[in-house]
Amino acid sequence: MTRIGPHVSRRDFLKLGGASVGALAAGAILAPPAAAAARKAGFIDVAGDGTIPTMCEMCVWRCGVLARVRDGRVVKLDGNPAHPHSRGMLCARGQAGLMSTYDPDRVLHPLIRVGPRGGGQFRQATWEEALDLTAQKMAEIRDNYGPEAMIFSSTHNLSQVQFENLLSAYGSPNYGTQRSLCFNAMVTAFLLTYGVEEPARNYDRVKFVLLTGRNLLEAISTSETAELMEAVARGAKLVVLDPRFTKTASKATEWIPIRPGTDAAFLLSMIHVIVTEGLADCEFVKKYVTGCEDIPAAMAEYTPEWGEAKTGVPAATIDRLAREYAAAGKDAMAHPGWRTSNFINSFQAERAIATLNALSGNVLTPGGCLVAESPEAAGIPLGKPPQPAYPRVTSMRLDGVPWKYPLVPLKLGIFQNIREAILSGQPYQAHGWFVSRQNPVLSIPDRARTVEAMGKLDFIAVVDVILNDTAWYADVVLPEASYLERYDPLNIVDHKLFLRQPVIEAQGEARSALWIYKQLGERLGLGEFFQYEDEEDYLRQQLAPLGAELQDVKYKGYLEVPVEEGDGEIVFGTPSGKIEVYSETLAGAGFSPWPTWEEPPAPAPDEFYLLTGKVGQHTQTATQNNAFLHQVEDEPKLWIHPAAASARGIEDGASVRVTSPIGSVVVTSLVTEGIRQDCLFLAPGYGHASKGLRVAYGVGVSDSDLHVTYTDPISGGQALSQTFVTVERA
Amino acid sequence: MAQKNRYGFVIDVARCIDCRACLVACRVENEVSLPHTRIWVKDQGLRGTFPDLAREFVPYNCMHCEHPPCIEVCTSGATFKDPDNGLVLVDQEACIGCGLCVEACPYDARYLDPTRGVVDKCTGCVHRVERGEEPACVATCLGGARMFGDFNDPTSEVSQALARATQVRQLVTDEVDPDPNIYYLNGDVMQTGLLPRPPRYTTAETLWRGVAIPAVIAGITLSFLGQAVAFTKQLIEGEQEFEE
Ligand code: SF4
Ligand code: SF4
Ligand code: SF4
Repeated sequence: MTRIGPHVSRRDFLKLGGASVGALAAGAILAPPAAAAARKAGFIDVAGDGTIPTMCEMCVWRCGVLARVRDGRVVKLDGNPAHPHSRGMLCARGQAGLMSTYDPDRVLHPLIRVGPRGGGQFRQATWEEALDLTAQKMAEIRDNYGPEAMIFSSTHNLSQVQFENLLSAYGSPNYGTQRSLCFNAMVTAFLLTYGVEEPARNYDRVKFVLLTGRNLLEAISTSETAELMEAVARGAKLVVLDPRFTKTASKATEWIPIRPGTDAAFLLSMIHVIVTEGLADCEFVKKYVTGCEDIPAAMAEYTPEWGEAKTGVPAATIDRLAREYAAAGKDAMAHPGWRTSNFINSFQAERAIATLNALSGNVLTPGGCLVAESPEAAGIPLGKPPQPAYPRVTSMRLDGVPWKYPLVPLKLGIFQNIREAILSGQPYQAHGWFVSRQNPVLSIPDRARTVEAMGKLDFIAVVDVILNDTAWYADVVLPEASYLERYDPLNIVDHKLFLRQPVIEAQGEARSALWIYKQLGERLGLGEFFQYEDEEDYLRQQLAPLGAELQDVKYKGYLEVPVEEGDGEIVFGTPSGKIEVYSETLAGAGFSPWPTWEEPPAPAPDEFYLLTGKVGQHTQTATQNNAFLHQVEDEPKLWIHPAAASARGIEDGASVRVTSPIGSVVVTSLVTEGIRQDCLFLAPGYGHASKGLRVAYGVGVSDSDLHVTYTDPISGGQALSQTFVTVERA
Repeated sequence: MAQKNRYGFVIDVARCIDCRACLVACRVENEVSLPHTRIWVKDQGLRGTFPDLAREFVPYNCMHCEHPPCIEVCTSGATFKDPDNGLVLVDQEACIGCGLCVEACPYDARYLDPTRGVVDKCTGCVHRVERGEEPACVATCLGGARMFGDFNDPTSEVSQALARATQVRQLVTDEVDPDPNIYYLNGDVMQTGLLPRPPRYTTAETLWRGVAIPAVIAGITLSFLGQAVAFTKQLIEGEQEFEE
């Protein structure tokens, strides 16, 4: 960071704007008392001003934040330079984070439904009453139908560990995460190939980056987005496979508008060229890759000409890119991607990506682009409260894992299948749903079916900071403190332990998830699973084995933990200890042991692929009520190519009807050259059902009204781009 | 150079990803009330036809011009160029909200805040710069597009960037060139529709504003100050609305 330091002469008597003006006028009504804890910790002076290190929660990247507090109100969030995920920056969402905390639509008191479900009528209740009611209903369901009749779902919160604790102590196998709607294909493929869920990326010396649909400049992960831009500015080659001209594509050296569903074909053809021409890092491959000698034979049919027929990309382009990728050697990266729930064959595309990286030998070499090491492998021994063993769970999971889907990791699960099981009552009937900070009403495909499923349940409780669309259908809403108002369990990043801590007092009666889960646990007779006094006590128990004081971690916001250097020997967490391009595990489950081609379905001549993807100003459905983000977002429109539009008499800005096998929506068109003629694009997360979201309600439409539920039998991923639609003037 | 330092921005258009973090950062840092803003990213839209496409994003805010037309028209002396750092600032205590500078700025970088009755615009985050920090928009720039610093200091990041650059542009035309202190690297910025415009008001209005308003103000200083200022503000804001 450049330091600049003059003084400004007229500054003292100037009023240059801001400072006393009510930009956050809405929030001003909710002004909380000064954070007593922060003052105690020495962050805040007597006037209530200071800077407190904590962590962002506007997406799951969890940047480090320096929160500036004035008079007990948070007034600015800056990226913490000490945190590897922020490096002094925050994206638009992170910058707007305080508006989510001061959102006038926050739920600040427990609510109990009074009208019909989904009618949005609630009355304010005390915590005592709301918790008692929730626990009583959960106990009834357990006693009458067994613990498996209760579904628990939550995703990717730092308090997830205690959510899972509540689920396991209660004894239900039914754990719904958002993951099958997002990254099952990627995680399952990398677990099977490398034994790690998601390899870290390193851009320090990368010369060739292949992004397969990873829209890193709009689906933003602050540090990684910045690193990619630095690499491009340095002259690294960026190749983007995407049917849509995204902002990432606009910065690419080459944009390949590939036919949807054929990424795997493109990648397999690249592998074909590399292995048949002997361009791989042979030393690395021989040492670390299973089935090395047989790769050329297994890939024999995937010639560039074959690839061209599948993908629409000229064979010469595939051949050239394969050679360029190989020539970059260890400095080439085929990015694993993130939301890879596109087609049923997305798992095979991910296996091909895993293979490409193995062939370039970039994995685990010093400065290599892919670090196939799990964060847990950092080996930091965190403590946890003592607790008895969990009850044995014998009932089958509603999502079919593993009895129908043997290879889907248990902690990923198949969310959309849970909804189907509620509706079918098979293999048994579910009766209750405990949802924490998740929005299945908008995220699972086929919203009407999700709402119908909720109608079959006896009881639904939702923990959230806001009245999201799922909370709108709940019987009880338990208000969680926002990320600027609470503690969460510690987070490990690069051998450092980071702390999320309150920078202001929680507004209203909002409380942390750590507190809510413990209260429920105690009421369910599971108190011995929650042996912590309060949040700080929980953190002290986490820190105990490290001999560290919470006070010190609070002050810096993190704790650096010395780690032992490895011995340089690479062992992968797979059955063979090698990179399993050839996988016995897959063969044993009746699937192809090699990365392979599976033909995806294609739309009829008058139909389109319906694409989804992110915008840089929002995190799915969760941030759209933030007025600051709403102000900088683009109006969500349906992208359509001019040729497709004019053939249907559709003008730019026209009202159009999009129809899929399960539903239809009316939306405004955006006629643009930036998309293939056979594709439409709709930004996700809009079209809210909850009228409790006064900024977001009425904006855009939801693709959950169009998406058909298709599940990959290997990874359990939902194939979000496999829904084909028609479009006409509305 | 008259002033000691000459602060300004260098913006590398090739690196702007249109993430809009700078827009939100500026709003929060400076408590700019909705729906106003001090900073913009201009999307040039797609150029070319599928699949040969290009798209660029051009961030801008007040250019802290060397010869600012906004200062020339400011009747109250509220807008000034800081002699120490070259930043063009508005003393909002002194601003009477006449809005002349809003019309005069060739880049539309100012706005009249009707609730406060004063003009507001980018301050170069001078309060942060004073503390030794970068402006909010620069510190958080994800693409690494925005740089800020002293052009008079050859070792500053902005001077270095200019020295290294192969293509540097200011947004100026033959007709309108206030010597803006935002220098653009790498983009086709001359196509953006951001080129400076001539002042918007007519000669008659200029006359009215140049003669009548100062006269009223001169009158005010001789009479019941508080009441009259309020009255004049009302008068002028009223006229402002009528104009649009
Ligand atoms: S850009 Fe406009 S407001 Fe800024 S100094 Fe130039 S003329 Fe004045
Ligand atoms: S320098 Fe400060 S005031 Fe100016 S645009 Fe950037 S953030 Fe806004
Ligand atoms: S923060 Fe930087 S990259 Fe993002 S829109 Fe602003 S100038 Fe562009």
